Amino acid sequence: MPSGSAAISIRGLTKRYGKLIAVDRLDLEVRRGEVFGFLGLNGAGKTTTIRILLDLLRPTSGSAAIFGHDCQSDSLKARSTVGYLPGEMGIYSDLTGHEVLKFLERIGGGSVSKEHRHSLTERFELGDRDLSRKLREYSTGMKRKLGLIQAFQADPLLLILDEPTEGLDPLMQESFYEVLADARQRGRTVFMSSHVLPEVERVCDRIAVLRKGEVVLLSSVEDARKLASRNVRVAFQQEVAIPASLPQGYEMIDAKPRSWTLRVTGQLGSLPAFLAALPVADLAVEEARLEDVLVKYYRDGAE
Amino acid sequence: MIMLFALIAQSLRRVRKFLLAAGVLLAGFQVVLILQANSIQTSNTFAQMGAMVPAFARDVLGPSFVAFLTFKGIVCLGYFHPVVMGALVSVSLTLATIPVMEIETGFIDLVLARPVARHWIVTRSILVAVISTAYLLAMMAIGTWIGLSYFAAKSAAWPSASLIGSLAINLGFLTLCWAAIAMAIGCACRRRGSAGAIAGLLALTAYLTDYIGRAWKPAESVAWLSPFRYYTPFELVMGSALSAKNLYVLGGIAAAAFALAYLLYSRRDISH
Repeated sequence: MPSGSAAISIRGLTKRYGKLIAVDRLDLEVRRGEVFGFLGLNGAGKTTTIRILLDLLRPTSGSAAIFGHDCQSDSLKARSTVGYLPGEMGIYSDLTGHEVLKFLERIGGGSVSKEHRHSLTERFELGDRDLSRKLREYSTGMKRKLGLIQAFQADPLLLILDEPTEGLDPLMQESFYEVLADARQRGRTVFMSSHVLPEVERVCDRIAVLRKGEVVLLSSVEDARKLASRNVRVAFQQEVAIPASLPQGYEMIDAKPRSWTLRVTGQLGSLPAFLAALPVADLAVEEARLEDVLVKYYRDGAE
Repeated sequence: MIMLFALIAQSLRRVRKFLLAAGVLLAGFQVVLILQANSIQTSNTFAQMGAMVPAFARDVLGPSFVAFLTFKGIVCLGYFHPVVMGALVSVSLTLATIPVMEIETGFIDLVLARPVARHWIVTRSILVAVISTAYLLAMMAIGTWIGLSYFAAKSAAWPSASLIGSLAINLGFLTLCWAAIAMAIGCACRRRGSAGAIAGLLALTAYLTDYIGRAWKPAESVAWLSPFRYYTPFELVMGSALSAKNLYVLGGIAAAAFALAYLLYSRRDISH
């Protein structure tokens, strides 16, 4: 594995199906050891990109590499570092959980630590009794848990997870976040697509928003949050006049004689100066939500 | 190698009940045919049966007709009866379209996300087809042996082991030939249903082409295209040696179709 290379490196990646462009000149770099959120609406090109990384799909042009190994010409080496959770687990229902894990271990080439697997099954509460049952008796959530265990069991350097918490109950989602935190602590890289924005906000270091096959936002979660407009509620000790003009990035949402609600886009540095001459009694700033930014990007694309 | 064994074991495990049932049915069919042959033999009615066949039909069928209306001929029928050939070809089509089914169900995503080269999937499927065909033919041979050992009259002229072996080998090559054709078709299709339907229709057309070609001279000009033309049970029953040419042709078609399957599978998008 070449040292110093990015975990995932995508250059000018394009995938066309006839006239339909699924991924359009995508450039992306995922650093080693980070948890990267890959976001976008259905059909934005997230799964297509993931499938190209795994050499399941062949790109029309451009290239993708995992730890420096080209995903097409050197795909076996690239895939030997990956643990993958597909969006839909196409596993035969006549197999037991144990059989699935054992089979996937054997074709994986590497060794799976029994302790590690045991800790995963414990965390996801999929005991021996559950694993001895055929998959046809599994609920959607149990299949998802099995999918997560098989992805994590070989402790791969890179985890590619497609909608990892879909179908998991809140307790299991917490378990997943713990497992993810452990993997991050061990220096593993995680590339995950998700629709659950609070989850992305919680676990991801950086995000890319894909829209119609193009990246419309690539930033750290912190920086993305800063792009969100925040509501600021100001209460006054006495009645005040509504100002004729507002600083740039400020918008009056609701104005009453003794209180205002302002929407502020960007940083709040200018707020104290703006309010300095006014008889402010109380001030409340709502936390910026990543969701507000992302929904805007989903709808409109880059500004 | 461990990975290849794991893939083969997993595939065989999935089809084990289907194969077991098919094997038992085919073996049972051989026993039933021997019981029938024995019944005709003990009642001494082979000659009467021959006399009941119209003259034109005898002309069309030629001298092989005489060989067929014997105890040995009826026993050997178990290796070229349309039901048996249909069953073997159907099993081969089912097994050969496993790769496209794995794509359709998404199972292959989990396999190919690991360091498994695509050619191993095709190699696995070829080996599964070979193992399954050998098993089914062995079951048929066991059925024949059981039938002859326990139900045949001692006075009846049994077919030789080499004749049964020749029939089984020629039939095995034919079965693998259809497995290869179906696999190549499957590797180009998105759905198993489409692949199975195309391959099945092709097999039926080829069978009818060969059948018509044997009975109607003008159809012979295209009958050589049918793989069934290179399975010649009547000639074998009449005492001819197993034709190496037939095996080369069937083996050649199978090799070409398997090669095409490798090429198509390695180049295609795995999307369901």
